[in-house]
Amino acid sequence: MTLAELSQKLGLKPLTELHDTEVQGAYVSDMVSDVMAGAKPGSLWITTQTHKNVVAAANLVDIAAVVVTSGRAVADEAIEMANRADLTILSTDLDTYVLVGKLHEAGV
Amino acid sequence: MAKQACRHSWSMADVRYGFMVTEKCFHCKDERSYFAEEHIPPKEEYREGEHFWDYLGSSQSVRFNLKCDKCGEKVCLDELLGLMTCSGCTADCNFNMIARICEEQKTWVYGALLYRREDARKPETAEKLAVLSRYFSDRIKTPGKKILVLPGWLVKDFDVCRCTVLEDVGMFQTEPEPSQS
Repeated sequence: MTLAELSQKLGLKPLTELHDTEVQGAYVSDMVSDVMAGAKPGSLWITTQTHKNVVAAANLVDIAAVVVTSGRAVADEAIEMANRADLTILSTDLDTYVLVGKLHEAGV
Repeated sequence: MAKQACRHSWSMADVRYGFMVTEKCFHCKDERSYFAEEHIPPKEEYREGEHFWDYLGSSQSVRFNLKCDKCGEKVCLDELLGLMTCSGCTADCNFNMIARICEEQKTWVYGALLYRREDARKPETAEKLAVLSRYFSDRIKTPGKKILVLPGWLVKDFDVCRCTVLEDVGMFQTEPEPSQS
């Protein structure tokens, strides 16, 4: 499933330009070090973290998109950095547990 | 017959989670960091020769090596403290200039921060950073995108640098935050 299809299906709101790509999987963590070591390129990164570190780590690992859960606000500087790196940030009011369930139902 | 050189395919190996602990000698004012694999970051003061090391802070961190899936060669990255990205704060900083030039080519530059200053300019450190760059770049699926890991000493002045360090500060508090009242 593509990022655009998944965003539409689950009502994920793009906070940056949406760079459509095939979603390869998902990784749930609020730790940058965890993502650097464990996340696979092309995956969604589901997190409640919103600082610039997240963008730097997501770019390093070539994450398909960062999905910020629980409606957390993302700082302008993180969004600006993500746009420079062509990294998509999506937002949802759903909490991580509920979102992961919906992603699983959607076949991710 | 000469053995054919391996076209390495690097994977992360020996992944260890722990803490990057920073401490300061209250005698000579020197600061240093080290990696601790304990479940809780050690905070005790201790004496080492003429130094009296005092805990300054810690962040959750990960340490790893790289191993070639084809030939088994291993690159030990124990000297790597972490990675940083440039925020473009100082126009005449070498790191900033290189990062801006590379960004035009869709190459994203990260700086390697090392535990020991004496490792920074060693030729073998440069070789390891080249392998690390290749490891991250080879995994990338976005066409044309690359990762370049350069030595952190290219930063003009860390005292004023506003770089983003990839670390998990405050993610594993063992004590409550002091009251703000």
